[in-house]
Amino acid sequence: MPSVSWRIRDWLGEPLPVLRLEIVRIGAPLAILGFASSRLEHADEWIGDAGFRVPDLGGDWRQPLYIPPLDSWAAWTVAAVMVLSAVACILGIRTRPSAIVLACTLAFVALSDRLAAYTVTKLSPAVMLAVAAGGAGARLGVDAYLKRKKSGKRPKIARPSGALRFVQLLVVVIYSASGIAKARGDWLKVPLVLWSHVHDSYQTGISFALASVLPGWVWTALQGMVLAFEVLAPVWFGLARTRTAAFVFGVGMHTMIGLMFGPVRWFAMLMITLLVAGYMPEQLLEPLEALARRLEPQSP
Amino acid sequence: MGVWLDGTGTGIPARILPRPASYFLQVAALFPWAAVATIDYRAQAFVCGKDEWEELDTRPYFPIDSDDKENRFNRVMHFLRDNRKTMNALDAYLVERHNSGRSDDGIPRDRPIGGIRVLSLRIPIPSPGERLQRVGRLPLSSYPEDERKFFYHTLRSTLAERCGERLQGPS
Repeated sequence: MPSVSWRIRDWLGEPLPVLRLEIVRIGAPLAILGFASSRLEHADEWIGDAGFRVPDLGGDWRQPLYIPPLDSWAAWTVAAVMVLSAVACILGIRTRPSAIVLACTLAFVALSDRLAAYTVTKLSPAVMLAVAAGGAGARLGVDAYLKRKKSGKRPKIARPSGALRFVQLLVVVIYSASGIAKARGDWLKVPLVLWSHVHDSYQTGISFALASVLPGWVWTALQGMVLAFEVLAPVWFGLARTRTAAFVFGVGMHTMIGLMFGPVRWFAMLMITLLVAGYMPEQLLEPLEALARRLEPQSP
Repeated sequence: MGVWLDGTGTGIPARILPRPASYFLQVAALFPWAAVATIDYRAQAFVCGKDEWEELDTRPYFPIDSDDKENRFNRVMHFLRDNRKTMNALDAYLVERHNSGRSDDGIPRDRPIGGIRVLSLRIPIPSPGERLQRVGRLPLSSYPEDERKFFYHTLRSTLAERCGERLQGPS
């Protein structure tokens, strides 16, 4: 019977498709840019001195760190660096430094303006650092193309990836913690928690239409399904037998969240990216694998 | 581990980590509570000369995501409505922005304001099966008094000082 440490070592050492991390490399910055787009448009209000700034609250728990506003030119510079590093990462140009720079700008804006910071801004620095640490950019990108052209060697299709294991664990940890937080909150006591959240400015045409036609018990049933999925996520994703069903449920749940809670769509896209990278069945990666092969230069 | 410990409400990361570090772990506890009302935040301004409170549209001064609750004005109110220092800064900011006359905010540009008061609208959530209306922004006057909850207002002495200076100042 192998010891726990050996099992962990085996798990970490198992070769995984390289394309999985490339999905994070491409999808996460797209979600981040989508989320940040409305903020980037007003960068001088967001992190600069052109808009309202919360004063230094001297250690108040609601202000994790006071960062004085930037001059407008500096705010626009940070915004430009964020966009350029995200685009470079998506295209696989100087991927590792691009991902590190993007992570730094995201951490900066999350701390600089607590008001416009959400899960996407707080979660993304760690995701982008994982992209950098995991050596993303080995396939499906400009770096990969140039390297192949120069060396003539075929890139590895699979290799052990601690970064991808981090992404897989992150997804499950977030669901599990979120489910426990919900269970400790109102989700086991109030039957219409989900219903109560579709009547504010997040409301979309779809959530309005569903709220207009679905009876109350359907909202309670959906609430129960979400809670069971999240609380038991370590089980659903841990067992090979339930993993694909959990993946499908997770993608479906985030798709509905994105459709029903307007501004939350970027968070939904980020989570779908992490789910697809971490848990999409391998046979569904084949079209992407074929695309990656087509985009690689032919051997001389 | 930190994300899990924070999300499950143990409070351990906040106790042992520096605040900026634990802040980045606060990503998992999403929507744990039922909404008790649909909440929107609004502002009124004290119009000098008229000595009346009128609705001040804050959206021109908080242009990011101006039409939803991710707007920074809403976020200031959500997090810091009980923080006097922040509310005073917000007061000064809105008065300065209106009086600079650069944006349309519902109060004529040539009418100076002396201060603000800010409130939340607490709109009851309908029951399933009730006839629903799409969520949208209506003027403050459309909402009954009992759905308004005031959090902050400029001190009367400050109103008098700001409006008085303007009234007595050079034209």
